[in-house]
Amino acid sequence: MSNLENKPNNQEMEGLTETGKIKKVRIKGNRNLVVSLLAILFGLIAGAIYMLAIGKNPITGYYFILSGGLKNLERIGNTLATATPLIFTGLSAAFAFRTGLFNIGAPGQMLMGGLCSTALALTLNLPQYLFLPVILLGSMLSGALWAIVPGFLKAKFNVHEVVSGIMLNWTAYWIVYYIIPTYFKAEYLETESAMIPANASLKVGWLSSLFQGSFINLGLFVAIVAVVLIAFILDKTVLGYELKSVGYNRHAAEYAGISVNKNIILSMMIAGALSGLAGAAFYVGYASNMQIGVMPSQGFDGIAVSLLGNNTPYGVLGAAIFFGLLHSGKGFMNAMTKIPPEIADTIIATIIYFSATSIFIERMLDALKRRKRGAK
Amino acid sequence: MKRFTSLLLVVVLMATVLAGCGTGAGKGLKVGMVTDAGTIDDKSFNQGTWEGIKKAEKDFKIEANYLKPGGTTHADYIKEITNLYDAGYKFIVTPGFKFSTAIYEAQEKYKDAKFVIIDAAPNNGKEGNEFEEKVTSNTVAIYFAEHQAGFLAGVAASLQLKEGEFGFIGGMEIPAVQKFNWGFQQGIKYANDNFGTKISIKPENVIYEGSFDRIDAGQQLAAQMFDRGVKAIFCAAGGVGVGAINEAKQRNETGEKVWIIGVDVDQYHEGLLKDGKTSVILTSAVKKIDTVTYTMIKEELDGKFQGGKILTFDVSNDGVGIPATNPNLSDDVMKSVNDVTAKLKSGEIKVADSNDGSLIK
Repeated sequence: MSNLENKPNNQEMEGLTETGKIKKVRIKGNRNLVVSLLAILFGLIAGAIYMLAIGKNPITGYYFILSGGLKNLERIGNTLATATPLIFTGLSAAFAFRTGLFNIGAPGQMLMGGLCSTALALTLNLPQYLFLPVILLGSMLSGALWAIVPGFLKAKFNVHEVVSGIMLNWTAYWIVYYIIPTYFKAEYLETESAMIPANASLKVGWLSSLFQGSFINLGLFVAIVAVVLIAFILDKTVLGYELKSVGYNRHAAEYAGISVNKNIILSMMIAGALSGLAGAAFYVGYASNMQIGVMPSQGFDGIAVSLLGNNTPYGVLGAAIFFGLLHSGKGFMNAMTKIPPEIADTIIATIIYFSATSIFIERMLDALKRRKRGAK
Repeated sequence: MKRFTSLLLVVVLMATVLAGCGTGAGKGLKVGMVTDAGTIDDKSFNQGTWEGIKKAEKDFKIEANYLKPGGTTHADYIKEITNLYDAGYKFIVTPGFKFSTAIYEAQEKYKDAKFVIIDAAPNNGKEGNEFEEKVTSNTVAIYFAEHQAGFLAGVAASLQLKEGEFGFIGGMEIPAVQKFNWGFQQGIKYANDNFGTKISIKPENVIYEGSFDRIDAGQQLAAQMFDRGVKAIFCAAGGVGVGAINEAKQRNETGEKVWIIGVDVDQYHEGLLKDGKTSVILTSAVKKIDTVTYTMIKEELDGKFQGGKILTFDVSNDGVGIPATNPNLSDDVMKSVNDVTAKLKSGEIKVADSNDGSLIK
């Protein structure tokens, strides 16, 4: 974990220290992409070996994952819909990583965002053009508020955000478990809230019918805006510069006159707001209501998405869509080839593993380069 | 590196050739299942359904497959049903009340497919007047009389242990689980009133854990109950019950005598101690999910699919009860339980499937 926290983005590191050598920065950027792609490739090869081991054909396996995720408009829509919450939680994790924080509290923030948007959707009744912004804002706020706690504890008492984050995940889980059945229970559905009314849902008719009735929703567009916005904040603003400095070296940042505590809390809040939006995108977008007793796996998957995307906003966007494709295609692969769902999950886990240990891939690339040089 | 790459290519190519041969799908029915929350080997609900399908696969040479959704939302279920349908699985079994809105939509969307939903009837999930429950002609909805299974398990356990304190651990507080609990309490009362047993059950020993998968929480709850002097716990809680069984096993290994009453399937083998001879499972309140699933497939093959119907399985059609053999119950107890079962069948005894206020939780 310390590896994750301390490893600043290579591209930025070069950019900050060797400001003159723009060309080198570009090479570094490409290199990150190469590392991520290699992680995926190794993951896929490992997956192919699993499939071979159980006597299945990996080529047909991967073919059906791809066609399951992209075969028709409905499936493409579902792939994007699956990716949407992952874009948000991936951004959330990436943003925290860049400030040197490990936001494992994303599932809790997502639950609180989802709870707030569900509560708003089931209590208020506004025209759609007003309702949706209110719901999105509510989910952002509640996610941000939920994330203040670990941020504050970290800043003031140096309590590790992983510990407080995990604790708060379960706190949120049980809050949802209490509030949904008590105040928002569906009359005829157990363990679920009432259905989100049409004018409060991010699923809108024209978009669903455009994608042949898939679960794609407006959350996707909000997510893309968020990607651009976060990229802008990180790369083009003083705030982003300060946040990143705190991430690289807390003490140096403090010495340079940057308020470390303020930035830690702020970074957690922004990360929390993004996870909160993931909650809205998931519970009032992808799903049609909120269920109790489920810790959203998207919160944890966000960490993997962020790692694979090399903690950059655009990388996150690509990685999230890739994960969305795997998640939505694997069912079709299971159905067509009888490769058990557990194998599909193992393939995804292996890709995560390779992206988390991308340092090995980097070392390998270095070794290769050195050998090439030696050969000359 | 180059050598490695070429080796890999060779392996992949060979596999393509080999595996290419084995994909010929057999004719006949393709039966698909979508799992509820939890895994295929959950020792209860999913596993029961899947075992029924597997048995049908063996007997009737059908093709069978299961999919595990990425989550438990309506969208996740619909996606997996679509995957099965697109892959040619036109007979789809879904265990669990959570599928009610997904099947409501799917039965209309895929009219040429057949659906079996267990523990619920398809509905649109809406409120008040907008609510609609609908079983179309390509769907069968199945309910079980859990209260009768709980009742018989309660009677059997009371008769065997004669006196002491009982407990109940439930999963989520949903009708299927509540009915087990209510039936169990009525069973204890019936045994006390008619057979002179002295079993009691205290409110603090009736607990819904809130999930079906937290094994550690089940173990803790069971430990607390056993510490409070409870002799036997009825667990209707999926994986949570597995934790309780583990706790009971540990205590029995150290000489303490405590029992668990299993649920859904005959859990006797889950409760075996290290010696492999004695089990902590006194008996189990069984829902014959496997038999019913098997029957549904058989009826479809025979052209007798009961589409459009809501079927309830209870003691009268042997859909619920306790296992036929219970090594931990004496012959006398089995005889009395069989008598009680007969009276349930004839309607002489009635078990309420709701709580009139006299029952705990």
